[in-house]
Amino acid sequence: MTDTSAPLASRRRLPVSILIGTGLAVVIVAAAVLAPSLIPFDPMRMAAGPRLAAPSFDHLFGTDEFGRDLFSRVLTGGRLSLGIGLTAVVSGLAIGGLIGLVAAFAGRLVEATLLRIIDVLYSFPDTLIALALVAFLGPGIENATLAIAISLVPFYARVTYGLAAAERAKPYVEAAKLAGIHTGRLVRVHVMPNIGQSLVVMGTLGFSSAILSAAGLSFLGLGVQPPSPEWGAILASGRNYINKAPWILIFPGVAICLTVLSFNLIGDSLRDLVDPRRKDRS
Amino acid sequence: MLLLIFKRVLIAFFTVIAVILLSGILVHVVPGDPVTAMMAQSVSATPEAMAEMRARLGLDLPVWQQVLLYTWHVLQGDLGTSIRGNESVAWLFLQRLPNTFSLAVSGLVIALAIGLPLGFIAAINRGRLAETVVMVLAVLGVSIPAFWLGLILMQLFALELGWLPVAGSGWRNIVLPALTLGLTYCALVARMTRSALIEVLEEDYIRTARARGLREYQVLFVHALRPALISIVTVVGLVFAYLLGGQVIIENVFSWNGVGRLAVQAMLQRDYPMIQGFIVVFATSVVVVSMLIDILYGFLDPRMRKS
Repeated sequence: MTDTSAPLASRRRLPVSILIGTGLAVVIVAAAVLAPSLIPFDPMRMAAGPRLAAPSFDHLFGTDEFGRDLFSRVLTGGRLSLGIGLTAVVSGLAIGGLIGLVAAFAGRLVEATLLRIIDVLYSFPDTLIALALVAFLGPGIENATLAIAISLVPFYARVTYGLAAAERAKPYVEAAKLAGIHTGRLVRVHVMPNIGQSLVVMGTLGFSSAILSAAGLSFLGLGVQPPSPEWGAILASGRNYINKAPWILIFPGVAICLTVLSFNLIGDSLRDLVDPRRKDRS
Repeated sequence: MLLLIFKRVLIAFFTVIAVILLSGILVHVVPGDPVTAMMAQSVSATPEAMAEMRARLGLDLPVWQQVLLYTWHVLQGDLGTSIRGNESVAWLFLQRLPNTFSLAVSGLVIALAIGLPLGFIAAINRGRLAETVVMVLAVLGVSIPAFWLGLILMQLFALELGWLPVAGSGWRNIVLPALTLGLTYCALVARMTRSALIEVLEEDYIRTARARGLREYQVLFVHALRPALISIVTVVGLVFAYLLGGQVIIENVFSWNGVGRLAVQAMLQRDYPMIQGFIVVFATSVVVVSMLIDILYGFLDPRMRKS
C-alpha cells in the first residue's frame, strides 16, 4: 500500500537520511569491532603520555588525568556501549515481543489485562524505569544492561501487540484458525514471518535510547564502573577537568551523539517505510 | 465528564498502589541481604548493630507482611527513615520538592517556547526547506544526551564567559539547568507538534475550509489550531514525564539541590528506604501529571467524555 498523496520532497529526503545514518553506523560499528587492532595504546595503560595532554599527532584525542590515551579509550568504549545496547535491545525485544504476542492471541481477558499493565508501564519514561531498577540491583555493567533491557519491554510489547493485532484481522489468520491450527503454531509459522521485519525496525529505534540510558547511568556512577572506558564513565571523570582539558569532554560526547544519531536516522526512515500510515509523522 | 474524572482518578490511585507494592517487593528481590549491602561500607557493622537494624526496618517479619506494612505506611505519608542521616524520608523529599518542581516547570516552559513554534513552522511548510531544517534540528536534538549538553553549556557560559554560576541552588543557578532541559526536550515538542498539526491539516473539514476560499491564516488559526491544541496538550504531558526522567541526571550535573540529586546519592550509598521513597515520589508525579492531562483532554474534546 503506497501513499501516493505524500509530497515528492519527503520521498526524496527519505533515502538521504537512511544513507547518512547507515554510513555513520557502519563506520562506528567497524571502529568498535576493529578497535583492538586500531588503537595505538592499551586503553587502561596509565602514563601512556603526559597527563591531560591536548590532542596531538601522538594522541589524536589527547590524554586524560592519568595520562591514558583518549583515542584508544573512546574506541574501546564503543565496544562497551554497542555491546550493552545490542544485548539490551535483543533481550528487551524478546521479552516484550512475547508479551505483545500473548496479549494479541491469548483471548480477551488476557488481552485486556496485559494491555492495561503495558499502558501504565509505558507512561513512565524508560530512563526512569532503568534508573529505578539499577537502584535496587546495584551498579555494574550486567545490572545496568538488565535494567535497560527491562526498561525497553513496555515499548516493544506495545509495538508487537499493535503489529500482531493488525495481522489478526487478516483473512489468512482467519483461514488458518478455521483449518484448526493450534494458536502457538499459527503465531510461530504464519504471523511471525509477517511482522518480523517490522519488529527488527523497531529494534533499531530502541537501540539509540538504550545507548543514551547506558551513558546516563554510567555518568551517574550507577552503570559501567571506572576505569572501564565506557563513554558515560569517561565523561563523569572528565567533568572534573572541564576547564583544563575540555577534550576529555568533547570526544566521548561526540561519540555518543553520532552513534545515537545514526540509529535514530535509520530507525526513523525505516519506520516510515514499513508503516505507511505514519509517513511524514514524527 | 464526572465519570471520566472518576475513572481516571481510580486508575491513577491503583497505579500508585501498584508502584508502592512493587517498590516494597523489589527490596526483597535484590540479590543478597539489604542490611549487609548497606552496612558493608560502615565501620560499626557488628552483628548486634545489624540485628538491631533488621528489627528497626521490620526485616525480621515475613516478606508479605513487610510489603503490606510498607504500603500501609506510605499511604499515610510515612516513607520510613533514611539509613544514612536517620531522618524522615518523606521530609527529606518534601524539602527538595519545590526545587525539583521549579526546575522542571522552567525546563518545560523553555521547551514549549522553542518547540511549539518550530513544530508549527514545520507543519505549515511541508516539503519546503523550513520543514527540512526543523526536522534535521529535531533529530539532532533527540540524539544529544542531556547531561553532555549540560556540561557543554556549563563550560561555555559559566567557565569561559563567566556569565552564570557553575552550580548551586540560587535563582541565577536555575538558568543553565533549565536551559539544558529546555533545549533537550524542545526537539521532542517540535516533532510531536508537527505530527499533531499535520494530522489535523489532512482532515476533510480543512479541505472544505480551503475550498470555501478562506484565507490560509483563517484556515490555520480558526479551523486547524483548536483541534491541534487538543493533541498538543497530550504532548505537554508526555514531554513533562520525560523531562522528569532527564531531570535526575541534570540535577546531578549542576548540583541542583532537588529530589533527583538526593536520590542518586541514596542509590550510590544503597540507602533502600530513600530509593523506595524516590520511586514512590517520582512515579506518583508521573501518574498525577498523566491523569491531569487525560482529564484536561476530556474538557477540551467532547468526544472523549463519552468513551
